[in-house]
Amino acid sequence: MADGDRLWEVFARRKRADHFEHIGCVEAPNPDLGRVYAWQTYDEAKWFEMIVAPRDAFHPVNRAEQPFTLHPSAEALT
Amino acid sequence: MARFTDDELMRKVQEGFIVESEADMTETYKKALITQLTVQGDTELMSAPAYYMATKDAPSTNTMVSATAIIQDEMGHANIAYRLLEDLGVDRDELLYERPPQKFKNPYGFDQPLVNWAELVTANGLYDRAGITLLGDVHRHTSYGPLKRGLVKVGMEENFHLRHGEVWMRRLCEAGGEARDMVQAAVDWMFPMGVEWFGMPDEKKHHNAQLDFKLKGMTNDQLRQTWLKAVVPLCDELSIEVPAHVNPDTEAVELEFEFPVQYDPDAKHWLLDEPITWDQVWDRWRARGPMNEQFVEWMRVSRYSVEGLLEA
Ligand SMILES: [Fe+2]
Ligand SMILES: [Fe+2]
Repeated sequence: MADGDRLWEVFARRKRADHFEHIGCVEAPNPDLGRVYAWQTYDEAKWFEMIVAPRDAFHPVNRAEQPFTLHPSAEALT
Repeated sequence: MARFTDDELMRKVQEGFIVESEADMTETYKKALITQLTVQGDTELMSAPAYYMATKDAPSTNTMVSATAIIQDEMGHANIAYRLLEDLGVDRDELLYERPPQKFKNPYGFDQPLVNWAELVTANGLYDRAGITLLGDVHRHTSYGPLKRGLVKVGMEENFHLRHGEVWMRRLCEAGGEARDMVQAAVDWMFPMGVEWFGMPDEKKHHNAQLDFKLKGMTNDQLRQTWLKAVVPLCDELSIEVPAHVNPDTEAVELEFEFPVQYDPDAKHWLLDEPITWDQVWDRWRARGPMNEQFVEWMRVSRYSVEGLLEA
């Protein structure tokens, strides 16, 4: 990951009433670019809604491991 | 790590256990997964400059849009593999920007120049078919949850690439004349390349960690046969000649040359009557094809210039 980049988890749903699905991840230095990269990278469907959130905003509730297979060495970067 | 021993993990994944994080892995599992993801990421990434090279030959703005859309997809697929690698502690910048070009693990086929529209669409028809065969198997069988999920997008898009290739191969063949000859010329050098894509035959490769840990489901020969069973009937239907035929009794595809054989990369020509050993194939792969350095350079060239501007 380039200096200053953060990890942005990407969630999307195809249509109204669908659940959000975790569809991937992009690296970007800020939320604006994170949104652009997510929209352009995960363009396999005509999404009704797509959102991004920084990986470090997620906290495990019932398991010890970080979600999204966060690696200890990646943790320092987020 | 070391929640399980190798033997325990092998048994668990064969029973359907899905690995979700490093805590579930053994060192051997992790190593095999990193190798698999590196091959996957490098193959996706290096397809982009190869396709880009031929996209300049697109016959219209519409076709150029569809060809560049495929390139964009491939970059997205590479991103998925490299992201998963980063989550395993691999340094993506090192992989992309500091590795010697010879260390990229893409197949030999993506070290070759694609010089016209017929070669591009034949690559979509044959190489993207190889991609679907390999990654479809991984998607169905992999014991690694994050990869299984990441491959949903890849599979959908690869099917589009394949359709693009097959529709255009048909279109050029139906036009006849020079258009058809160009497809035949492309298939002549890409077909044996595709046969080689799947690697060493099973009889030469006894131990396979990727199979033991269920990182894939099918052996090299099974994957090669799956590809052949799709590609040979397609070529037959288009009246494009290939050195292979379907055996009507077994329904298996049989090669009409003693695989593997010698290749002349400068002439883009296979010497089908000059069989070689697998050691010689490995030597040719390690020596890399003619475009290896340039393709890596194309991917790297703009990075530092923009970085310089940002820092100025
Ligand atoms: Fe791809
Ligand atoms: Fe593709």
